[in-house]
Amino acid sequence: MLARLEGVTKRYRTTEGVRDLSLEFPAGEIVGVLGLNGSGKSTLLKLVAGLLFPTAGSITVFGAAPRPSRGRTVFLGETDTLWPWMTPRDASRFMEGLYPDFDPIRFNELLDALEVPRRKTKAMSKGERGRLRLAMALARSAKLYLLDEPLAGIDLISREKILMQLVREWHTDETILLSTHEVAEAEGLFERAIYLRDGRLALDARAEDLREQGKSVVQTFKEVLA
Amino acid sequence: MKGLKTLLWLEHRRSWVWAVSLLGSLAFWAWGIKQVTVFDVGERFGIRTGLLGMACAIGALLLCLMIGRIRAETRHGQYQVLLLTPPSGYTHIAARYLYAAGVAFAYFITIGFLFWWISALAGIQFDAGTLVELVLAVPFYAVCITMLPLLAWTLLLMVFISAYRISGPGWVPGTVMILGTPFALSWLVDGIARVSYSLPSWRLLERLPMAVASRLVEMDPETSAEIVRVSRWGVPIEPLLIMLALTAIFLVLAGRIWQEVEA
Repeated sequence: MLARLEGVTKRYRTTEGVRDLSLEFPAGEIVGVLGLNGSGKSTLLKLVAGLLFPTAGSITVFGAAPRPSRGRTVFLGETDTLWPWMTPRDASRFMEGLYPDFDPIRFNELLDALEVPRRKTKAMSKGERGRLRLAMALARSAKLYLLDEPLAGIDLISREKILMQLVREWHTDETILLSTHEVAEAEGLFERAIYLRDGRLALDARAEDLREQGKSVVQTFKEVLA
Repeated sequence: MKGLKTLLWLEHRRSWVWAVSLLGSLAFWAWGIKQVTVFDVGERFGIRTGLLGMACAIGALLLCLMIGRIRAETRHGQYQVLLLTPPSGYTHIAARYLYAAGVAFAYFITIGFLFWWISALAGIQFDAGTLVELVLAVPFYAVCITMLPLLAWTLLLMVFISAYRISGPGWVPGTVMILGTPFALSWLVDGIARVSYSLPSWRLLERLPMAVASRLVEMDPETSAEIVRVSRWGVPIEPLLIMLALTAIFLVLAGRIWQEVEA
């Protein structure tokens, strides 16, 4: 089991991010983390990444607490987090120096595949920066990828490139947790979908099971969360 | 080690504009010093050392601003990226601190050179040994007992405020720390004054010729009195040890908090 959450609650000052969440993530799944705004998707991914600490319950990632396991997980946040002066070359130096599992050759191949221009991020469009961040994430050989809204605010062409690359780069021993609002576009990716409503687990279903019932991930999204 | 090296590189890329501007500002101060054309040599020397004092104060402030830019990174999300990297919080803190401390040493050693230049303009010549002490050892001592703990304190303050941004109101611990600083400082200065010179002092500027010392006092009694005192008694080693210990404590605390930060 790559990650396990048991009765996890995260309370902020005045609100609750997630409540009493128990989930398991084995190796080799692409999991859609779905929900409306404020349903707890980002909180869930940040808890697994070790960026947040649970108020109650426990989380283990690779058998340890999430923060000490951060070198083995990849987290791609929804905010634009690169320094404006950073070029893809700088990004490569940054990643290579800090992550032993980063492969600079693979990174350059990803830059080409995702058509990322070799200039400073401040001179890139939001889509180009998103693709650069994805290339940085996928050039690592991690087993657990936590992708929080990697498609948000990105143009259609870039979104397609990102999704195609995700499929191409995924290995069967890796698990990807992907939170997105673009449920329809990413529908074909998901093997499992977790639906969150007001921080609680509304449904945890395998995409195949849904299809057998004659439903799609999108249809279920509308039914469960409407 | 590779992590620290990369973080130092990152720190340089983040802060080189600050560092270059800070060191470049000394050219401005040198130009300002040259513009002082009061006829009386003593008065001219006094005004020029006063300008150098201003350069020290402004430089210290800018260095604190340079090291304390964590809040902007928190807002822009880069802090999140750094928190997730494998190096420990202590390594991150060490990289930030080492870079700022390096710039502080470069800045204050240059000020030591400027003091030597001012003295030369006033006709005061130091022998080679005294000159080395004046431009290297004195700034080293001054930076160790002032800038190093100040930078560590600023870093701790900013990490502390950032750490409690999500879990609670960040301004409360920040305000408590800022308001408590003058009291802590006053208590610290009193304590250091009580224990100073218990250990053998560091004999700095002891080869300063009496003629030069008298000339300095004659021209600017206030500024030079300290130099003459140092040449007679040396500098106390206790403040150095206490401040270095405090610096280490602040840095360890900042590193520990970094490990617990949410983002």
